[in-house]
Amino acid sequence: MKEKVKAQYMVQAAVIGSLYAAITLLLAPLSYGVMQVRVSEALVVLSMFTPAAIPGLGAGCFFANLLGPGGFIDAAIGSIATVIGAIGTYRLRNAFYAAPMATVASNAVIVGWMLYYFYAVPLPLVSCMLWVGLGELIACYGLGIPLARFLQSRRGDIGL
Amino acid sequence: MAIKDITLGQYFPGESIVHRLDPRTKILGTFVFLVTLFLVNRFAGFALSAAFIAGVIALSGVPVKFMIRGLRPILFLIVFSTILNLFVTAGTPIVQFGPLTITEEGVYRAAFMALRLMLLIFGSSLLTLVTKPITLTDGIERLMSPLNIVKLPSHELAMMMTIALRFIPTLLDETDKIMKAQTARGADFESGNLFRRAKGLIPLLVPLFVSAFRIAGDLAMAMEARCYRGGKGRTRMNGMAFSGRDAGALCVLVAYFAATIYLRTMGG
Repeated sequence: MKEKVKAQYMVQAAVIGSLYAAITLLLAPLSYGVMQVRVSEALVVLSMFTPAAIPGLGAGCFFANLLGPGGFIDAAIGSIATVIGAIGTYRLRNAFYAAPMATVASNAVIVGWMLYYFYAVPLPLVSCMLWVGLGELIACYGLGIPLARFLQSRRGDIGL
Repeated sequence: MAIKDITLGQYFPGESIVHRLDPRTKILGTFVFLVTLFLVNRFAGFALSAAFIAGVIALSGVPVKFMIRGLRPILFLIVFSTILNLFVTAGTPIVQFGPLTITEEGVYRAAFMALRLMLLIFGSSLLTLVTKPITLTDGIERLMSPLNIVKLPSHELAMMMTIALRFIPTLLDETDKIMKAQTARGADFESGNLFRRAKGLIPLLVPLFVSAFRIAGDLAMAMEARCYRGGKGRTRMNGMAFSGRDAGALCVLVAYFAATIYLRTMGG
């Protein structure tokens, strides 16, 4: 039984990762850069329903960034930001509207810093963070919250 | 972006010495190369980095045009960053266009940043060009295995990454199909402000979730039916072993790193 749960958890995480990467790649170039609206970040609301989303989103972000224009650095740092955000969202899962804020904040700070420092985006550090944060806000609240509301009502049907 | 334009994994098949290196050597090499790019503080350092990466590209047999193609998606960022650095950096003026001034320091900084960005992209894309994604995740698993001591499940993480990688093309295809089906039913993914557009993606994501979780359920059941028991005692069809060429590559890497440090601290 324990093994079954383990396989289920792992596969669920993997599929969430694939979903994240597929949506990011399909909606590129909107998904990359300073003024990005990474729609797939809305998937972070999944971590309000299953902890499997935490490693899953991390892996998804790793692959999406590895295959994107930013390469290995973007993959490593971006996935750390996503994992931290997903952990925060999971911890705040009972505060429905506040939970995605953890992802917005983590990505704004870490990805904004990465773009400023590693990719030499010629904007002040705070502007880099604010731009990334704005894109995250649109994805997590514009799409993430309605999605979370749907998932809440149909949780059983989907198998979450 | 059309699905056919997405070069998944970007692996360039080959039998070169770089292709045959252990994935751990390649990951470590990429990491060291990327670190050195941030240690460089003068153009001589970049010349060394460029020579090093050019040597590795030549050995790998990956066509140069393939490498340059990798720069295309980031071209906008390079041009944007160059133009801004040219005009924003304060210093000794060279040319003046009305209120805009190009300074000596601006030219230096713009060239410096553009070079770093290009080498950064070359370095990180070369790793995926010469390593199969599955081999890459195997390498990551082995590199992470010491973390088992702190109870980090490295096998499970690598297995999850391998499955995720396997399903990206399947879900890309599925997303494309659902997008077309919903558009035919009148779904609008392209009009309105950003918030409205983001919300407009719900008819895409809901069926996608249902389909993806069905796949997950089926796969978990199949794994259990085949007695999947995690990483303990598991063997590999293709084992991983450090060879003489890996030792040679690591020596070159150490020499390159030492030369970079030398150029940073003592070079003229």
